[in-house]
Amino acid sequence: MVDSTAAPAKKMGKAIDLKYQPGFSQIAWLCIAVLYAPIAVLVLFSFNQNRSVTVWTEFSFDWYVKAMNNEGIRHAAWVSLEVAFIAMVIATIMATMAALVTTRTAPYRGMNMAVGVINQPLMVPEVVTAVATLIFFAIIKQLTGVSGIGYLIAAHTAFCIPFAYMPIRARLEDMDLSLEQAAADLYAPPFKVFRRVTLPLMLPGIMAGAMLAFIVSLDDVIITLFVAGPGETTLPLYILGQIRRGVTPEVNAVSTVFLGLSVILVTFIFLFGKGKK
Amino acid sequence: MKSKILAMITALGLTLTVGSVFAAGELHVYNWGNYTNPEMIEKFEKMHGVKVTIDGYDSNETMLAKVEQGGSGYDIVVPGDYMIAIMLKKELLERVEPNKMSNFKNVDPKWVDVYWDEGRNYTIPYQWGTTNFTVDSTVYKGDVNTLALLFDPPDELKGRINMLKDMNDVINAGLRYLDYPRCNSNKAQLKELNEMLVKAKANWRTMDYSVIEKLTSKDVDLSQSWNGAAKRARKDRPELVYSYPKEGFTGWMDNVAVLKGAPNLENAKLFMNFMMTPEAAALTSNFANYANGITGSEAMMNADLVSAPEIVMPAGAPAPEFVPPCAQEVTDLYSKIWTNLNK
Repeated sequence: MVDSTAAPAKKMGKAIDLKYQPGFSQIAWLCIAVLYAPIAVLVLFSFNQNRSVTVWTEFSFDWYVKAMNNEGIRHAAWVSLEVAFIAMVIATIMATMAALVTTRTAPYRGMNMAVGVINQPLMVPEVVTAVATLIFFAIIKQLTGVSGIGYLIAAHTAFCIPFAYMPIRARLEDMDLSLEQAAADLYAPPFKVFRRVTLPLMLPGIMAGAMLAFIVSLDDVIITLFVAGPGETTLPLYILGQIRRGVTPEVNAVSTVFLGLSVILVTFIFLFGKGKK
Repeated sequence: MKSKILAMITALGLTLTVGSVFAAGELHVYNWGNYTNPEMIEKFEKMHGVKVTIDGYDSNETMLAKVEQGGSGYDIVVPGDYMIAIMLKKELLERVEPNKMSNFKNVDPKWVDVYWDEGRNYTIPYQWGTTNFTVDSTVYKGDVNTLALLFDPPDELKGRINMLKDMNDVINAGLRYLDYPRCNSNKAQLKELNEMLVKAKANWRTMDYSVIEKLTSKDVDLSQSWNGAAKRARKDRPELVYSYPKEGFTGWMDNVAVLKGAPNLENAKLFMNFMMTPEAAALTSNFANYANGITGSEAMMNADLVSAPEIVMPAGAPAPEFVPPCAQEVTDLYSKIWTNLNK
């Protein structure tokens, strides 16, 4: 893979390197500002002393203390993390198996359709999935009388699978089959080939997929809004519910904490990926 | 691998059933976000040994979409007046007859025979308020009690106005200003309304729900507003004055109701009776900043609430008008005007 893409890139580099085009850095900085300025404002106002999210008075940690003591926010944050974690684990396992069976086998009838079905949640408008899931689960609940957070986890797992699947599949497609063939050639049984060769090589893909699934689950609104049952308010739903009555900097404080969390996560994954190379 | 997956499925199954195992002492409340006083809930939990969960929604319509299919798991919802009318028509509410409960005597008689639940066989008052507008009195010094400030503003308010992004609130205010009836399907009158709104819009800065932020950041000097939001904005901008237009204005009420098929029906009834005590009503008002319709609660309400001109209507103000849901034909016409206005 390294050889095949690096060579043309070098050749093109002399002709048109995007970085040296006029206006490149200006446009790049503009994009960065548009993307990150709102987040910077959100973080800034989480330290604001008064209740306004627009008028600055003085620096304080009041809203962090208030958010910590707010039972509703604590519970919502916990539900969010719980659902995201379980959905991530299940979705990543399923996506890994799906990726293996769509790249590491001889092409079979219906393989393209299988890929299509796996990626279906990406194609269908989210609100359609949400309403369909709501009705489907309502029927199951009425038939069985079973309720609980499992429904929400199942829904999240379903739409997390394609997000986990894509990076894992991309990784597998980039991996040369010759290593696995060599291992098999040296009489390694299939499971040993998988455990000692395939799995370690595809691990960065799995990590990336898992992280993507976690993040996608964490910030989902529409499907969660329709599927969540009693006591299953996630953080995004909690924030949405505040809008009519006025958002307070408590929400900024929680968002900042979650932002910090995801920055730590990304850094960790980045370092992990680097170490592997 | 296989055993791990099996363990996971078993764990999932366990989580699925947990909900129903402890169902005996539970109550599931689905209310507007940030609208339920945790202290009040704690009090109820201690009193009856019931574990309460609270979830929030952002609009009547979201709530309806979710409970309409049945099996939502919620016991209590708190819909607005017109939504109660819709839900009763769809037979989504349980006839729990709060009018026969022991604390019903506390309900202010003027809130008993309401259009959305004549005689209160299904619901009780939760919070009520008015939708008007609030103006900075240092910017505009004249009489604030007229809708002309929204639709034909003086020069100092031009381009300094925020309207609610709410079809009914804007159109009903416009109809009152023109002195035409609500739920109007008269094409000639609506044409006039449309022209009037388009002309007025040139003087509006924004159409947005975030009233408090718009006012306190001094982005605008006048904003259409719910009375509770107006009061909260006044805390940061004391010059604000809440208007009670002489042409009339909309009143609204959120009501406690029990869903048909509620899993914890008896607890829901207990909760409803509890919500009619002055203590519970006062706790709710102190948290949500609106009036509650339960007599005797004023004594326990925060002083700034009882004296707030936004909450306590002045003697001379017209009675708030509660607008029932209009016929589909009217709503379609309104939607056209609204879409045109938002272009």
